[in-house]
Amino acid sequence: MTKAPFVLIVEDDQWLAEQLARTLMGAGIRSELATHALGAIDMIDANPPDAIVLDVLLAGPNAFTLLHELQSHADLASIPVILCTNSADQLAGEDIAAYGVRQVLDKATMVPDDLVVAIKKALL
Amino acid sequence: MKGSAGEFKAKQDGSPFGDSSFLVTAAHEMKAPLALVRQLALSLEAGNVTQSDQERMFRQIVLVSERALRLTTDLSRSSRLEDSLFELEPLNPQQICEEVAHELFPLYAARGREIRVASHYRPILAVANRDLLRRILLNFGDNALHYADSDAPVELRTATSFRGSKIRLGVRDYGPAIPADMWRRLHVHLGTDTQVLHSRPQSSGLGLYVAGQFAQAMSGAIGATRHRDGATFYVDLAASTQLSLL
Repeated sequence: MTKAPFVLIVEDDQWLAEQLARTLMGAGIRSELATHALGAIDMIDANPPDAIVLDVLLAGPNAFTLLHELQSHADLASIPVILCTNSADQLAGEDIAAYGVRQVLDKATMVPDDLVVAIKKALL
Repeated sequence: MKGSAGEFKAKQDGSPFGDSSFLVTAAHEMKAPLALVRQLALSLEAGNVTQSDQERMFRQIVLVSERALRLTTDLSRSSRLEDSLFELEPLNPQQICEEVAHELFPLYAARGREIRVASHYRPILAVANRDLLRRILLNFGDNALHYADSDAPVELRTATSFRGSKIRLGVRDYGPAIPADMWRRLHVHLGTDTQVLHSRPQSSGLGLYVAGQFAQAMSGAIGATRHRDGATFYVDLAASTQLSLL
């Protein structure tokens, strides 16, 4: 029996984080929540996820702090990252490609299933 | 109130936002609650949600919408400040804090959080406009909900300052200490030694900018104190001399 994939959701809006987790759970994907980048780093250290869903503008250090941290550790650099943000139109593809970002989801236009599709695609 | 504090443009017309930047920032502020409401509605529409989740999601939609509506009302009120005269009256700051805590209670409770008012024996009255003062404190309360630690209560406090000539109403939150360099970026110097607070890290500062305008309309000012374990956002208002004349 294959183990359910495990995703870390880094999102400082508690209700949106719950909503994302609910969507993933409906697709059989386990998840945990981190509300800020520093907490996420601790959680990744303790239990590396199969993928990360990451908001960009967080309270305190933003997503790029976490992305830099991931890239500085060989064992974490390959974890696929899905950015889920209200600022998708402000992110240049070439700027984020180097950070292991597989896909950018725009919170304002995505539908819940887009997240599941993005995670499954990243884990292929 | 998200966005990049470092993205502020030069001050124009007394605002840290240029005319077009102000619109962009306001639009961005509205995007987050609308995006959340849309996600919740889409999930409800798709079904496969338990009864308890359904009730919780409906409640969240109501509370997020109310919060967004507060922002739109603040913005429209802010744009009409110069055309309006606001009646100033002696107000009991403790009572205003109680009213604000009562109004924010459902939002805090839905997020499993606590908001309370520190008791103050016989507070001196503040000269203020009730509606504007409430809006400032609601704004600080919303801000604290976003930034404070989930297990610590947010507290509204009143105190006298400047040898009793001012009344300070503050919202104290507890959370990770803000690094000194980030804190410095929060402050924009205006002229002499006055420091006006505009935002926290990763905040567009729009809500606080509006709060600052409301304070100015009452001849007051907003500011913030950084603590090792959080921050206090406050508004200073003139103390009423009414009692001393009796």
